[in-house]
Amino acid sequence: MAKVEVTIVTYRDIFQEEAKEIGRYSDEYRDLSALILLDRGDMKLIKTEDGQTVQVETDGGMVVVTARLSEEDEEHPGLAFMPNSPWSNQLVSEDTGTSKIPEFKRIKAEVSATDKDVDTISELVERIRADY
Amino acid sequence: MAVCTGCSLLCDDIELEFEDGKISLTKNLCRKGEGRYRSLREDRLVPAVDGAKVGFDEAISRAAELLGDAENPLLFGWSNSSLEAQRIGIDLAKKLGATIDDTSSFCQGYLMEKVLRGEYPTCTLDEVRNFADVLIYWGSDPSSSQPRHMSRFSYFPRGEKRQRGYDEDRTAIAIDVRKSPTVVIAADGFFRIPPGGDAEFIEALLAALGGKIPKVKDKKMKKKILKLGSTLRKAEFGVVFPGLGLIYSLKDEIDKLTPLITRLNEVSSYKLIPMVGHYNMRGFNQTLLEETGHINRVSFKDGVEHGTQFAVTEAVNDCDALMVIGSDLISALPAAISKKLARIPTVAIDPHRNLTTDMARVTIPSAISGLEAGGSALRMDGVKVEFEPVIKSGYRSDVEILSRIMEAV
Repeated sequence: MAKVEVTIVTYRDIFQEEAKEIGRYSDEYRDLSALILLDRGDMKLIKTEDGQTVQVETDGGMVVVTARLSEEDEEHPGLAFMPNSPWSNQLVSEDTGTSKIPEFKRIKAEVSATDKDVDTISELVERIRADY
Repeated sequence: MAVCTGCSLLCDDIELEFEDGKISLTKNLCRKGEGRYRSLREDRLVPAVDGAKVGFDEAISRAAELLGDAENPLLFGWSNSSLEAQRIGIDLAKKLGATIDDTSSFCQGYLMEKVLRGEYPTCTLDEVRNFADVLIYWGSDPSSSQPRHMSRFSYFPRGEKRQRGYDEDRTAIAIDVRKSPTVVIAADGFFRIPPGGDAEFIEALLAALGGKIPKVKDKKMKKKILKLGSTLRKAEFGVVFPGLGLIYSLKDEIDKLTPLITRLNEVSSYKLIPMVGHYNMRGFNQTLLEETGHINRVSFKDGVEHGTQFAVTEAVNDCDALMVIGSDLISALPAAISKKLARIPTVAIDPHRNLTTDMARVTIPSAISGLEAGGSALRMDGVKVEFEPVIKSGYRSDVEILSRIMEAV
Protein backbone atom coordinates (compact mmCIF):
# COMPACT_ATOMS: atom_id res chain seq x y z
CA MET A 1 0.00 0.00 0.00
CA ALA A 2 1.47 3.36 -1.08
CA LYS A 3 2.14 5.80 1.73
CA VAL A 4 2.91 9.49 1.75
CA GLU A 5 4.75 11.31 4.51
CA VAL A 6 3.17 14.56 5.62
CA THR A 7 3.39 17.22 8.30
CA ILE A 8 -0.09 17.84 9.65
CA VAL A 9 -1.07 21.31 10.82
CA THR A 10 -4.26 21.43 12.86
CA TYR A 11 -6.71 24.30 12.61
CA ARG A 12 -10.08 25.50 13.90
CA ASP A 13 -13.16 25.62 11.69
CA ILE A 14 -16.24 27.62 12.65
CA PHE A 15 -18.71 24.97 11.47
CA GLN A 16 -16.87 22.35 13.51
CA GLU A 17 -16.70 24.73 16.49
CA GLU A 18 -20.47 25.15 16.28
CA ALA A 19 -20.98 21.39 16.12
CA LYS A 20 -18.64 20.98 19.12
CA GLU A 21 -20.77 23.34 21.17
CA ILE A 22 -23.81 21.22 20.46
CA GLY A 23 -22.22 17.87 21.23
CA ARG A 24 -19.07 15.79 20.88
CA TYR A 25 -21.07 12.67 20.07
CA SER A 26 -23.05 13.95 17.12
CA ASP A 27 -22.56 12.66 13.57
CA GLU A 28 -22.19 16.29 12.48
CA TYR A 29 -19.22 16.80 14.80
CA ARG A 30 -17.59 13.63 13.47
CA ASP A 31 -18.20 14.60 9.84
CA LEU A 32 -16.60 18.01 10.42
CA SER A 33 -13.72 16.71 12.55
CA ALA A 34 -12.56 13.37 11.16
CA LEU A 35 -10.93 14.91 8.09
CA ILE A 36 -7.55 15.42 6.53
CA LEU A 37 -7.03 17.98 3.78
CA LEU A 38 -4.40 16.74 1.35
CA ASP A 39 -2.49 18.20 -1.56
CA ARG A 40 -3.72 16.98 -4.95
CA GLY A 41 -0.34 15.38 -5.76
CA ASP A 42 -0.21 13.56 -2.43
CA MET A 43 -3.70 12.17 -3.06
CA LYS A 44 -2.55 10.85 -6.41
CA LEU A 45 0.52 9.23 -4.83
CA ILE A 46 -1.61 7.15 -2.48
CA LYS A 47 -4.29 6.59 -5.14
CA THR A 48 -7.11 8.12 -3.19
CA GLU A 49 -9.81 10.62 -4.03
CA ASP A 50 -11.76 13.34 -2.30
CA GLY A 51 -14.27 11.75 0.08
CA GLN A 52 -12.50 8.38 0.46
CA THR A 53 -11.10 7.20 3.76
CA VAL A 54 -7.40 7.18 4.62
CA GLN A 55 -5.39 5.78 7.48
CA VAL A 56 -3.15 8.31 9.21
CA GLU A 57 -0.38 6.95 11.39
CA THR A 58 2.25 8.42 13.68
CA ASP A 59 4.48 7.11 16.46
CA GLY A 60 1.73 8.36 18.79
CA GLY A 61 -1.22 6.56 17.24
CA MET A 62 -3.43 5.82 14.27
CA VAL A 63 -6.77 7.09 13.02
CA VAL A 64 -9.05 6.58 10.01
CA VAL A 65 -10.53 9.78 8.61
CA THR A 66 -11.98 11.12 5.36
CA ALA A 67 -9.54 12.57 2.81
CA ARG A 68 -10.48 15.92 1.32
CA LEU A 69 -8.78 17.81 -1.46
CA SER A 70 -7.17 20.91 0.00
CA GLU A 71 -8.51 24.22 -1.30
CA GLU A 72 -5.19 26.05 -1.00
CA ASP A 73 -4.25 28.13 -4.06
CA GLU A 74 -0.71 26.79 -4.13
CA GLU A 75 0.49 23.20 -4.22
CA HIS A 76 1.73 21.98 -0.85
CA PRO A 77 3.14 18.45 -1.16
CA GLY A 78 4.01 16.95 2.21
CA LEU A 79 1.78 19.38 4.07
CA ALA A 80 -1.70 18.39 5.26
CA PHE A 81 -4.34 19.98 7.46
CA MET A 82 -6.74 18.54 10.05
CA PRO A 83 -9.34 20.26 12.23
CA ASN A 84 -8.24 20.17 15.86
CA SER A 85 -10.27 17.39 17.49
CA PRO A 86 -10.03 14.07 19.33
CA TRP A 87 -9.20 12.53 15.91
CA SER A 88 -6.13 14.71 15.36
CA ASN A 89 -5.19 14.21 19.02
CA GLN A 90 -4.88 10.45 18.44
CA LEU A 91 -1.79 11.31 16.40
CA VAL A 92 -0.06 13.83 18.67
CA SER A 93 3.02 12.62 20.54
CA GLU A 94 3.02 12.67 24.34
CA ASP A 95 6.50 14.20 24.21
CA THR A 96 5.97 17.80 25.27
CA GLY A 97 9.60 18.96 25.38
CA THR A 98 10.69 21.75 27.71
CA SER A 99 7.53 23.81 27.20
CA LYS A 100 5.22 20.95 28.26
CA ILE A 101 2.95 21.89 25.36
CA PRO A 102 2.21 19.01 22.98
CA GLU A 103 3.10 19.40 19.29
CA PHE A 104 -0.46 20.01 18.10
CA LYS A 105 0.47 21.83 14.90
CA ARG A 106 3.43 19.96 13.45
CA ILE A 107 2.50 16.29 13.42
CA LYS A 108 4.73 14.02 11.31
CA ALA A 109 2.54 11.29 9.88
CA GLU A 110 2.15 8.69 7.15
CA VAL A 111 -1.05 8.60 5.14
CA SER A 112 -2.32 5.66 3.10
CA ALA A 113 -5.57 4.70 1.40
CA THR A 114 -7.80 2.26 3.27
CA ASP A 115 -11.18 0.63 2.91
CA LYS A 116 -11.87 0.97 6.66
CA ASP A 117 -14.66 3.24 7.90
CA VAL A 118 -13.98 6.54 9.63
CA ASP A 119 -13.34 5.97 13.35
CA THR A 120 -16.31 6.88 15.51
CA ILE A 121 -15.80 8.88 18.67
CA SER A 122 -16.89 5.83 20.66
CA GLU A 123 -14.04 3.86 19.08
CA LEU A 124 -11.58 6.59 20.07
CA VAL A 125 -12.93 6.49 23.64
CA GLU A 126 -12.55 2.70 23.73
CA ARG A 127 -8.91 3.01 22.65
CA ILE A 128 -8.21 5.57 25.35
CA ARG A 129 -9.86 3.32 27.92
CA ALA A 130 -8.15 0.17 26.65
CA ASP A 131 -5.19 0.48 29.01
CA TYR A 132 -7.34 0.75 32.12
CA MET B 1 -29.11 42.40 26.27
CA ALA B 2 -27.36 39.14 27.07
CA VAL B 3 -23.65 38.29 27.08
CA CYS B 4 -22.43 35.37 25.01
CA THR B 5 -19.74 33.22 26.66
CA GLY B 6 -18.98 31.34 23.44
CA CYS B 7 -15.52 32.90 23.18
CA SER B 8 -13.33 35.53 24.79
CA LEU B 9 -15.00 38.42 22.96
CA LEU B 10 -17.88 38.17 25.45
CA CYS B 11 -20.27 39.88 23.02
CA ASP B 12 -22.66 41.92 25.17
CA ASP B 13 -25.17 42.88 22.48
CA ILE B 14 -27.12 39.64 22.22
CA GLU B 15 -30.84 40.32 21.84
CA LEU B 16 -33.30 37.67 22.91
CA GLU B 17 -37.01 37.09 22.62
CA PHE B 18 -38.88 34.59 24.78
CA GLU B 19 -41.96 32.42 24.44
CA ASP B 20 -43.25 30.33 27.36
CA GLY B 21 -40.03 30.94 29.27
CA LYS B 22 -37.89 29.63 26.41
CA ILE B 23 -35.68 31.56 23.99
CA SER B 24 -37.59 31.87 20.72
CA LEU B 25 -35.35 34.29 18.81
CA THR B 26 -31.76 35.50 19.07
CA LYS B 27 -30.07 38.41 17.33
CA ASN B 28 -26.38 39.20 16.86
CA LEU B 29 -25.04 35.75 17.77
CA CYS B 30 -22.28 34.34 15.57
CA ARG B 31 -22.44 30.72 14.45
CA LYS B 32 -20.33 29.60 17.43
CA GLY B 33 -22.47 31.54 19.90
CA GLU B 34 -25.60 30.13 18.29
CA GLY B 35 -24.14 26.67 18.93
CA ARG B 36 -23.70 27.53 22.60
CA TYR B 37 -27.32 28.68 22.85
CA ARG B 38 -28.57 25.56 21.07
CA SER B 39 -26.56 23.45 23.50
CA LEU B 40 -29.03 24.39 26.22
CA ARG B 41 -31.11 21.45 25.08
CA GLU B 42 -28.38 19.03 24.01
CA ASP B 43 -26.39 16.36 25.86
CA ARG B 44 -26.82 17.84 29.34
CA LEU B 45 -24.85 16.10 32.05
CA VAL B 46 -26.53 14.32 34.96
CA PRO B 47 -25.15 13.85 38.50
CA ALA B 48 -23.62 10.38 38.65
CA VAL B 49 -21.18 8.22 40.56
CA ASP B 50 -19.46 5.33 38.76
CA GLY B 51 -21.95 5.65 35.91
CA ALA B 52 -25.06 5.42 38.13
CA LYS B 53 -27.31 8.45 38.42
CA VAL B 54 -27.39 9.93 41.92
CA GLY B 55 -28.80 13.04 43.58
CA PHE B 56 -26.89 16.32 43.47
CA ASP B 57 -25.99 16.14 47.19
CA GLU B 58 -24.61 12.62 46.82
CA ALA B 59 -22.46 13.69 43.86
CA ILE B 60 -21.07 16.63 45.88
CA SER B 61 -20.31 14.43 48.85
CA ARG B 62 -18.55 11.78 46.73
CA ALA B 63 -16.56 14.48 44.93
CA ALA B 64 -15.41 15.96 48.24
CA GLU B 65 -14.47 12.49 49.49
CA LEU B 66 -12.49 11.67 46.35
CA LEU B 67 -10.58 14.96 46.44
CA GLY B 68 -10.17 15.11 50.21
CA ASP B 69 -8.69 11.61 50.44
CA ALA B 70 -6.09 12.26 47.73
CA GLU B 71 -2.42 12.92 48.40
CA ASN B 72 -1.84 14.87 45.18
CA PRO B 73 -5.08 16.22 43.74
CA LEU B 74 -5.02 18.25 40.53
CA LEU B 75 -7.69 20.85 39.80
CA PHE B 76 -7.90 21.71 36.11
CA GLY B 77 -10.06 23.72 33.73
CA TRP B 78 -11.23 27.20 34.84
CA SER B 79 -11.25 29.00 31.46
CA ASN B 80 -15.01 28.45 31.14
CA SER B 81 -15.82 29.58 34.68
CA SER B 82 -16.62 33.04 36.02
CA LEU B 83 -14.10 35.10 38.00
CA GLU B 84 -16.12 34.38 41.12
CA ALA B 85 -15.93 30.61 40.55
CA GLN B 86 -12.21 30.84 39.79
CA ARG B 87 -11.56 32.54 43.14
CA ILE B 88 -13.34 29.74 45.00
CA GLY B 89 -11.42 27.22 42.90
CA ILE B 90 -8.11 28.73 43.95
CA ASP B 91 -9.24 28.66 47.60
CA LEU B 92 -10.24 25.02 47.18
CA ALA B 93 -6.81 24.22 45.77
CA LYS B 94 -5.22 25.92 48.79
CA LYS B 95 -7.43 23.99 51.21
CA LEU B 96 -6.61 20.69 49.51
CA GLY B 97 -2.90 21.46 49.04
CA ALA B 98 -3.61 20.71 45.39
CA THR B 99 -2.00 21.53 42.07
CA ILE B 100 -4.03 23.96 39.99
CA ASP B 101 -3.68 24.57 36.26
CA ASP B 102 -5.81 25.83 33.40
CA THR B 103 -6.10 25.53 29.63
CA SER B 104 -3.54 28.34 29.12
CA SER B 105 -0.97 25.73 30.18
CA PHE B 106 -1.09 24.22 26.68
CA CYS B 107 -2.53 27.27 24.94
CA GLN B 108 -1.77 31.02 25.24
CA GLY B 109 -0.01 30.87 28.64
CA TYR B 110 3.54 31.84 27.67
CA LEU B 111 2.31 34.89 25.78
CA MET B 112 -0.42 35.86 28.25
CA GLU B 113 2.17 35.98 31.03
CA LYS B 114 4.16 38.59 29.07
CA VAL B 115 1.04 40.72 28.65
CA LEU B 116 -0.14 40.41 32.25
CA ARG B 117 3.32 41.27 33.58
CA GLY B 118 3.38 44.38 31.38
CA GLU B 119 6.31 43.17 29.26
CA TYR B 120 4.34 43.59 26.03
CA PRO B 121 2.27 46.73 25.43
CA THR B 122 -1.42 46.04 25.09
CA CYS B 123 -4.70 47.92 24.67
CA THR B 124 -8.43 47.33 24.69
CA LEU B 125 -10.49 46.16 21.74
CA ASP B 126 -12.43 49.43 21.96
CA GLU B 127 -9.15 51.30 21.34
CA VAL B 128 -8.54 48.97 18.41
CA ARG B 129 -11.92 49.90 16.93
CA ASN B 130 -11.38 53.62 17.43
CA PHE B 131 -7.71 54.02 16.53
CA ALA B 132 -6.00 50.99 14.97
CA ASP B 133 -4.96 51.25 11.32
CA VAL B 134 -2.63 48.26 10.88
CA LEU B 135 -3.81 44.86 12.11
CA ILE B 136 -1.57 41.82 12.14
CA TYR B 137 -3.36 38.49 12.54
CA TRP B 138 -0.43 36.19 13.22
CA GLY B 139 -1.23 32.49 13.37
CA SER B 140 -4.73 33.50 14.37
CA ASP B 141 -8.00 33.05 12.54
CA PRO B 142 -10.69 35.17 14.20
CA SER B 143 -13.16 34.36 11.41
CA SER B 144 -13.22 30.81 12.78
CA SER B 145 -12.37 31.17 16.47
CA GLN B 146 -13.55 34.64 17.57
CA PRO B 147 -16.06 35.16 14.76
CA ARG B 148 -17.12 38.75 15.51
CA HIS B 149 -13.60 40.07 16.24
CA MET B 150 -13.18 41.65 12.82
CA SER B 151 -16.73 43.01 12.57
CA ARG B 152 -17.12 44.39 16.11
CA PHE B 153 -13.61 45.62 16.77
CA SER B 154 -10.64 45.15 14.55
CA TYR B 155 -11.19 45.46 10.80
CA PHE B 156 -14.66 46.31 9.48
CA PRO B 157 -16.10 48.88 11.89
CA ARG B 158 -15.74 52.62 11.63
CA GLY B 159 -14.16 54.14 14.72
CA GLU B 160 -13.40 57.55 16.20
CA LYS B 161 -10.27 58.06 14.11
CA ARG B 162 -11.11 55.45 11.51
CA GLN B 163 -14.24 56.90 9.97
CA ARG B 164 -13.70 55.19 6.64
CA GLY B 165 -13.41 51.72 8.18
CA TYR B 166 -11.70 48.93 6.34
CA ASP B 167 -12.23 50.49 2.90
CA GLU B 168 -9.47 53.02 3.34
CA ASP B 169 -8.52 53.35 6.98
CA ARG B 170 -7.34 49.89 7.94
CA THR B 171 -4.78 47.44 6.59
CA ALA B 172 -5.09 43.76 7.49
CA ILE B 173 -2.01 41.54 7.49
CA ALA B 174 -2.37 37.78 7.95
CA ILE B 175 0.66 35.58 8.62
CA ASP B 176 -0.29 31.94 8.39
CA VAL B 177 0.59 28.51 7.05
CA ARG B 178 -2.78 28.10 5.36
CA LYS B 179 -5.46 30.05 3.53
CA SER B 180 -7.79 30.50 6.49
CA PRO B 181 -11.06 32.48 6.22
CA THR B 182 -9.23 35.42 7.84
CA VAL B 183 -6.51 35.17 5.19
CA VAL B 184 -9.20 35.45 2.51
CA ILE B 185 -10.34 38.76 4.06
CA ALA B 186 -6.77 40.07 4.36
CA ALA B 187 -6.24 39.14 0.66
CA ASP B 188 -3.03 40.89 -0.50
CA GLY B 189 -1.91 41.18 3.11
CA PHE B 190 -1.38 37.40 3.31
CA PHE B 191 2.10 36.09 4.08
CA ARG B 192 2.34 32.33 3.78
CA ILE B 193 5.01 30.79 6.00
CA PRO B 194 6.02 27.15 6.42
CA PRO B 195 5.03 25.32 9.65
CA GLY B 196 7.43 26.49 12.34
CA GLY B 197 8.64 29.34 10.13
CA ASP B 198 7.58 32.09 12.54
CA ALA B 199 11.01 32.75 14.10
CA GLU B 200 12.49 33.12 10.62
CA PHE B 201 9.69 35.49 9.62
CA ILE B 202 10.37 37.58 12.74
CA GLU B 203 14.02 37.86 11.63
CA ALA B 204 12.97 38.85 8.11
CA LEU B 205 10.61 41.51 9.44
CA LEU B 206 13.28 42.90 11.75
CA ALA B 207 15.60 43.22 8.75
CA ALA B 208 12.92 44.95 6.68
CA LEU B 209 12.11 47.35 9.52
CA GLY B 210 15.82 48.18 9.76
CA GLY B 211 16.03 48.92 6.03
CA LYS B 212 18.03 45.75 5.35
CA ILE B 213 17.31 43.04 2.79
CA PRO B 214 15.57 40.14 4.53
CA LYS B 215 17.28 36.75 4.24
CA VAL B 216 14.50 35.03 2.34
CA LYS B 217 15.11 32.73 -0.65
CA ASP B 218 11.92 33.52 -2.56
CA LYS B 219 12.43 36.79 -4.47
CA LYS B 220 8.73 37.69 -4.56
CA MET B 221 8.45 37.12 -0.82
CA LYS B 222 11.59 39.20 -0.21
CA LYS B 223 10.03 42.12 -2.07
CA LYS B 224 6.73 41.64 -0.29
CA ILE B 225 8.38 41.65 3.15
CA LEU B 226 10.27 44.84 2.30
CA LYS B 227 6.97 46.46 1.36
CA LEU B 228 5.44 45.16 4.58
CA GLY B 229 8.28 46.80 6.54
CA SER B 230 7.32 50.09 4.94
CA THR B 231 3.60 49.58 5.74
CA LEU B 232 4.43 48.76 9.35
CA ARG B 233 6.63 51.85 9.72
CA LYS B 234 3.86 54.10 8.42
CA ALA B 235 1.26 52.80 10.89
CA GLU B 236 -0.18 55.23 13.41
CA PHE B 237 -1.57 52.56 15.73
CA GLY B 238 -0.68 48.97 14.97
CA VAL B 239 -1.94 45.89 16.76
CA VAL B 240 -0.63 42.31 16.69
CA PHE B 241 -3.17 39.56 17.32
CA PRO B 242 -1.16 36.38 17.95
CA GLY B 243 -2.97 33.06 17.80
CA LEU B 244 -2.06 29.48 18.49
CA GLY B 245 -0.17 29.24 15.19
CA LEU B 246 2.45 31.65 16.51
CA ILE B 247 2.35 30.41 20.13
CA TYR B 248 2.80 26.73 19.20
CA SER B 249 5.62 27.64 16.87
CA LEU B 250 7.58 29.51 19.58
CA LYS B 251 6.21 27.92 22.79
CA ASP B 252 8.66 28.59 25.66
CA GLU B 253 10.85 30.56 23.24
CA ILE B 254 8.24 33.32 23.11
CA ASP B 255 11.07 35.78 23.88
CA LYS B 256 11.98 35.53 20.19
CA LEU B 257 9.02 37.82 19.63
CA THR B 258 10.35 40.50 22.00
CA PRO B 259 12.86 42.20 19.63
CA LEU B 260 10.11 42.62 17.04
CA ILE B 261 7.64 44.15 19.51
CA THR B 262 10.42 46.47 20.71
CA ARG B 263 11.43 47.43 17.17
CA LEU B 264 7.83 48.05 16.09
CA ASN B 265 7.48 50.46 18.99
CA GLU B 266 10.64 52.28 17.95
CA VAL B 267 9.29 52.95 14.46
CA SER B 268 5.67 53.54 15.50
CA SER B 269 3.16 52.52 18.21
CA TYR B 270 2.19 48.85 18.40
CA LYS B 271 0.12 46.86 20.89
CA LEU B 272 -0.53 43.16 21.26
CA ILE B 273 -3.70 41.30 22.25
CA PRO B 274 -3.48 37.49 22.58
CA MET B 275 -6.30 35.79 20.68
CA VAL B 276 -7.70 33.87 23.62
CA GLY B 277 -10.25 31.16 22.87
CA HIS B 278 -12.18 30.31 26.05
CA TYR B 279 -14.27 33.08 27.53
CA ASN B 280 -12.40 33.58 30.79
CA MET B 281 -8.90 32.16 30.39
CA ARG B 282 -7.45 35.61 30.93
CA GLY B 283 -9.54 35.96 34.08
CA PHE B 284 -8.03 32.85 35.61
CA ASN B 285 -4.50 33.88 34.67
CA GLN B 286 -5.00 37.35 36.15
CA THR B 287 -6.62 36.04 39.35
CA LEU B 288 -3.97 33.38 39.98
CA LEU B 289 -1.22 35.93 39.25
CA GLU B 290 -2.66 38.26 41.89
CA GLU B 291 -2.93 35.40 44.39
CA THR B 292 0.37 33.64 43.80
CA GLY B 293 2.57 35.63 41.42
CA HIS B 294 2.07 32.98 38.70
CA ILE B 295 -0.52 32.70 35.93
CA ASN B 296 -0.83 28.88 35.87
CA ARG B 297 0.97 25.64 36.87
CA VAL B 298 0.88 26.20 40.64
CA SER B 299 1.04 23.74 43.54
CA PHE B 300 -0.20 24.59 47.02
CA LYS B 301 1.17 21.39 48.57
CA ASP B 302 4.02 23.15 50.29
CA GLY B 303 3.22 26.86 50.27
CA VAL B 304 3.15 28.20 46.70
CA GLU B 305 5.30 26.41 44.14
CA HIS B 306 5.35 27.00 40.41
CA GLY B 307 7.00 25.11 37.58
CA THR B 308 6.60 23.00 34.47
CA GLN B 309 6.18 19.92 36.69
CA PHE B 310 2.79 21.37 37.63
CA ALA B 311 1.64 21.70 34.00
CA VAL B 312 -1.32 19.40 33.48
CA THR B 313 0.61 17.40 30.87
CA GLU B 314 3.21 16.58 33.55
CA ALA B 315 1.15 16.66 36.75
CA VAL B 316 -0.96 13.86 35.31
CA ASN B 317 1.97 11.52 36.05
CA ASP B 318 1.85 12.16 39.81
CA CYS B 319 -1.70 13.08 40.70
CA ASP B 320 -4.02 10.60 42.39
CA ALA B 321 -7.26 12.55 41.96
CA LEU B 322 -8.39 14.98 39.32
CA MET B 323 -11.12 17.58 39.19
CA VAL B 324 -11.92 19.01 35.75
CA ILE B 325 -14.26 21.97 35.49
CA GLY B 326 -15.59 23.34 32.21
CA SER B 327 -13.08 21.55 30.01
CA ASP B 328 -13.07 18.40 27.92
CA LEU B 329 -9.49 17.54 28.78
CA ILE B 330 -9.61 14.01 27.34
CA SER B 331 -10.60 15.45 23.94
CA ALA B 332 -8.07 18.25 24.09
CA LEU B 333 -4.88 16.34 24.88
CA PRO B 334 -2.89 13.74 22.92
CA ALA B 335 -4.39 10.27 23.29
CA ALA B 336 -1.25 8.98 25.03
CA ILE B 337 -1.73 11.56 27.80
CA SER B 338 -5.50 11.01 27.84
CA LYS B 339 -4.85 7.32 28.56
CA LYS B 340 -3.08 8.37 31.74
CA LEU B 341 -5.92 10.73 32.61
CA ALA B 342 -8.45 7.96 32.13
CA ARG B 343 -6.80 5.97 34.95
CA ILE B 344 -7.09 8.81 37.49
CA PRO B 345 -10.21 8.99 39.67
CA THR B 346 -11.91 12.09 38.33
CA VAL B 347 -14.62 14.54 39.28
CA ALA B 348 -16.00 16.31 36.19
CA ILE B 349 -18.10 19.46 36.46
CA ASP B 350 -19.61 20.57 33.17
CA PRO B 351 -22.90 21.63 31.61
CA HIS B 352 -22.59 18.86 29.01
CA ARG B 353 -21.62 15.29 28.53
CA ASN B 354 -18.22 14.93 26.87
CA LEU B 355 -15.30 12.48 26.74
CA THR B 356 -13.96 13.63 30.10
CA THR B 357 -17.30 13.33 31.87
CA ASP B 358 -17.78 9.88 30.35
CA MET B 359 -14.54 8.70 31.96
CA ALA B 360 -15.11 10.45 35.29
CA ARG B 361 -16.02 8.63 38.48
CA VAL B 362 -18.18 11.53 39.67
CA THR B 363 -20.06 13.91 37.36
CA ILE B 364 -21.75 17.12 38.45
CA PRO B 365 -23.87 19.05 35.95
CA SER B 366 -23.49 22.81 35.93
CA ALA B 367 -25.29 25.85 34.57
CA ILE B 368 -24.10 27.51 31.36
CA SER B 369 -22.52 30.91 32.13
CA GLY B 370 -24.32 33.86 30.61
CA LEU B 371 -27.42 31.76 29.98
CA GLU B 372 -28.27 30.00 33.22
CA ALA B 373 -25.74 31.60 35.58
CA GLY B 374 -24.45 35.11 36.14
CA GLY B 375 -21.03 36.38 37.10
CA SER B 376 -18.17 38.27 35.53
CA ALA B 377 -15.20 37.54 33.30
CA LEU B 378 -12.23 39.21 31.64
CA ARG B 379 -12.50 39.65 27.89
CA MET B 380 -9.40 38.78 25.83
CA ASP B 381 -8.21 42.39 26.25
CA GLY B 382 -8.68 42.40 30.03
CA VAL B 383 -11.92 44.41 30.11
CA LYS B 384 -14.22 43.08 32.82
CA VAL B 385 -17.66 42.05 31.55
CA GLU B 386 -20.54 41.24 33.89
CA PHE B 387 -23.39 38.98 32.90
CA GLU B 388 -26.74 37.92 34.29
CA PRO B 389 -28.59 34.66 33.77
CA VAL B 390 -31.21 35.07 31.05
CA ILE B 391 -33.27 31.95 31.67
CA LYS B 392 -34.28 29.98 34.73
CA SER B 393 -32.96 26.46 35.05
CA GLY B 394 -32.44 23.90 37.77
CA TYR B 395 -28.70 23.72 37.09
CA ARG B 396 -26.34 25.06 39.76
CA SER B 397 -23.62 27.57 38.96
CA ASP B 398 -19.93 26.69 39.28
CA VAL B 399 -19.87 29.04 42.28
CA GLU B 400 -22.50 27.02 44.10
CA ILE B 401 -20.98 23.66 43.17
CA LEU B 402 -17.46 24.68 44.24
CA SER B 403 -18.74 26.27 47.46
CA ARG B 404 -20.54 23.04 48.34
CA ILE B 405 -17.45 20.93 47.63
CA MET B 406 -15.37 23.38 49.67
CA GLU B 407 -17.73 23.02 52.65
CA ALA B 408 -17.77 19.24 52.35
CA VAL B 409 -14.00 18.71 52.08
